[in-house]
Amino acid sequence: MSVVCRVGNAHDHPNSNTIIFIQQRGYMTTKYQTNLLPVTVITGYLGAGKTTLLNRILTLEDGKKVAVIVNEFGEVGIDNQLVINAEEEIFEMNNGCICCTVRGDLIRIIGNLMKRRNKFDHLVIETTGLADPAPVIQTFFVDEDLQSKLALDAVVTVVDAKHIWQHWSADEAQEQIAFADVILLNKTDLVVTAELDELEKRIKGINAMAKIYRTHLSQQEIEMNALLGVQAFDLNRALEIDPEFLNENAHEHDETVGSVALVESGALDGEKLNAWIGDLLRNQGQDIFRMKGILNIAGEDFRFVFQGVHMLFDGKPDRPWHSGETRKNELVFIGRNLNETQLKEDFRQCLV
Amino acid sequence: MSSLGGKKKSRRPQKLLEKSSKEMLSDYVTGVVWSSDGKTLAASSAAGEVILWQGNNSISILQEPIESSIDCLSFSHDGKYLAAGGQNGQVKIWYLPTKELVTTLENAPAWVDQLAWSCSCHQLAFSLGRSVQVWDLDTQAVVTTLNFEASSVFSLAWHPIAAYLAIAGYQGVKIWCGEDWHDDPYLLSIPSASQAIAWSPDGKYLACGNLDQTLAVVEWGNPHPWVMRGFPGKVRSLAWSNLKTVLGAPLLAAASTQSAIVWEKQWQEADGWEAWELEGHTETVTAIAFSPDRFLLASASEDGRVCLWDSAEELVQILSGADDGFSCLAWQPQGQFLAAGGQNGELLIWAKSIAGQGFG
Repeated sequence: MSVVCRVGNAHDHPNSNTIIFIQQRGYMTTKYQTNLLPVTVITGYLGAGKTTLLNRILTLEDGKKVAVIVNEFGEVGIDNQLVINAEEEIFEMNNGCICCTVRGDLIRIIGNLMKRRNKFDHLVIETTGLADPAPVIQTFFVDEDLQSKLALDAVVTVVDAKHIWQHWSADEAQEQIAFADVILLNKTDLVVTAELDELEKRIKGINAMAKIYRTHLSQQEIEMNALLGVQAFDLNRALEIDPEFLNENAHEHDETVGSVALVESGALDGEKLNAWIGDLLRNQGQDIFRMKGILNIAGEDFRFVFQGVHMLFDGKPDRPWHSGETRKNELVFIGRNLNETQLKEDFRQCLV
Repeated sequence: MSSLGGKKKSRRPQKLLEKSSKEMLSDYVTGVVWSSDGKTLAASSAAGEVILWQGNNSISILQEPIESSIDCLSFSHDGKYLAAGGQNGQVKIWYLPTKELVTTLENAPAWVDQLAWSCSCHQLAFSLGRSVQVWDLDTQAVVTTLNFEASSVFSLAWHPIAAYLAIAGYQGVKIWCGEDWHDDPYLLSIPSASQAIAWSPDGKYLACGNLDQTLAVVEWGNPHPWVMRGFPGKVRSLAWSNLKTVLGAPLLAAASTQSAIVWEKQWQEADGWEAWELEGHTETVTAIAFSPDRFLLASASEDGRVCLWDSAEELVQILSGADDGFSCLAWQPQGQFLAAGGQNGELLIWAKSIAGQGFG
């Protein structure tokens, strides 16, 4: 993980105009990089199959020691002393500024757990069906201890393929899909293929970045490699968007929450880009759930990769552009009420 | 600063302390505390051990590793009892003269990660999720349960003289008065969360370190707290000097990221507090403490060093012995010994390097 820059809204965070150039300070000591504890966050509605998934992870990962933090009483059927039950405690750290909203219970509990760092290899956090995933994710970027000792691996969202429609328009359901890196369509045996195809299409409309797997957790074994060790928040693997999505010119957005992809060749003016992202996150950060991208900045030999959650922005130079490689910019935003035309237009203004 | 350090002298590194003892616990040392008479040191570990050190070659094991962390330790004011709490929800109390376990309070599944004896009687306060329970050893009964409410309890501290109990967490500190526990608590409101609190030894000031990189100081009875800003990270631990400077107040040290920052109250009320930063550590400072008889500050860090700062200003000695980092430290109340715990279970004790020093 490199430097996280808090961009913030207009009410606070004075140093909001130094986003891109923060890359100069992007460093971490080797000690930390080699010893980061991976964290998987499991979200999904009550009854979607989170606990079944958790029990699968605990059974199948028997070679590894997994610590689990659960926020609701479920039937974790494995006798594991590292299952910790905690009540969700939301801390608004900065007059309600959304990017400074974190989970106080996680700061306290993980701080205690890390004294026995050598006793486990992986941390799994199961959130309640109604939990907002953003404060969970932000805790790992905002808290200095968690940031330096743990690495968020992926947000896994379990979707009940049959019953999701009952909650489809609820904010929690859409946000859990929007924040996900991996989506498990569970209970696929209860619906016909055509219905599954439709569901998958609509999920992709919300979140074009997530990997989607069809499964039936109570019967099938799920491939653990698909869930653990995903490194979705690792900037070195910043962008893996479905090329089909990138290549489509127009997307049907029948939901208020959706994905917008920007693909442009050409080089960017660093200062203009900086100002644009700063403005965008200040004004719309609240509605931008996730973003990722690869940028070609004028005068730079390295690709610049970034990702973000609400107003938290994390970016760094990645690898050099190869000779012969087409230098281009690819960005994906997932958010609520995003104006694709406006985003494209404003982004083009940043080209040299 | 002039009041403290006097004239600047170019001093060579000194040897104020020398190693006296090294013991090993089986995991991360979570706490070290001295009894008030300075004759007993207690230490706990993340593996659940509780041990007593009473001079070289005198170790007593009160609790063997139980695979469940002990997170807090406290001696009663008269040094007769030791209480320990941890992740299995138990609060255990030992009677020191016989080293017998006299009480076990069960609170599972809650973790007990904060606990402290009153400074004047046998009341023990310990955290239970969002509440603090005050339990009386003499009557073997719960005195009161204080509902902090806003979050789990991050820290608690008894006033050194009067019957006040301060409890910190989300949105600040609440201070209850033991003369009437039912009275509404005094509230020190903080726009984030407080995770460290400390009363000055004379009870005149309460300092609280916050997650939003601020430090607040209340002069007890004055409704307007000072708020100190500019810290590089969250303010994770605090220490008051026992002595007062010529300006009339004790020094306050605060650990934040790789630094300890020392605050000195100025003579004029309007001048507030002045600060200077002690730079020398290369990783997070985990604990700080003033020697009881002078302005000598010790700082322990994850960089594997304990630094001694003379006049809370000048680095005069570096102690080592926990390569993967120090987790906690405590001066003996008589100032003859310094104890520190390490992240791999190291327990180190240094003695004042003047010949002929014994206990007390």
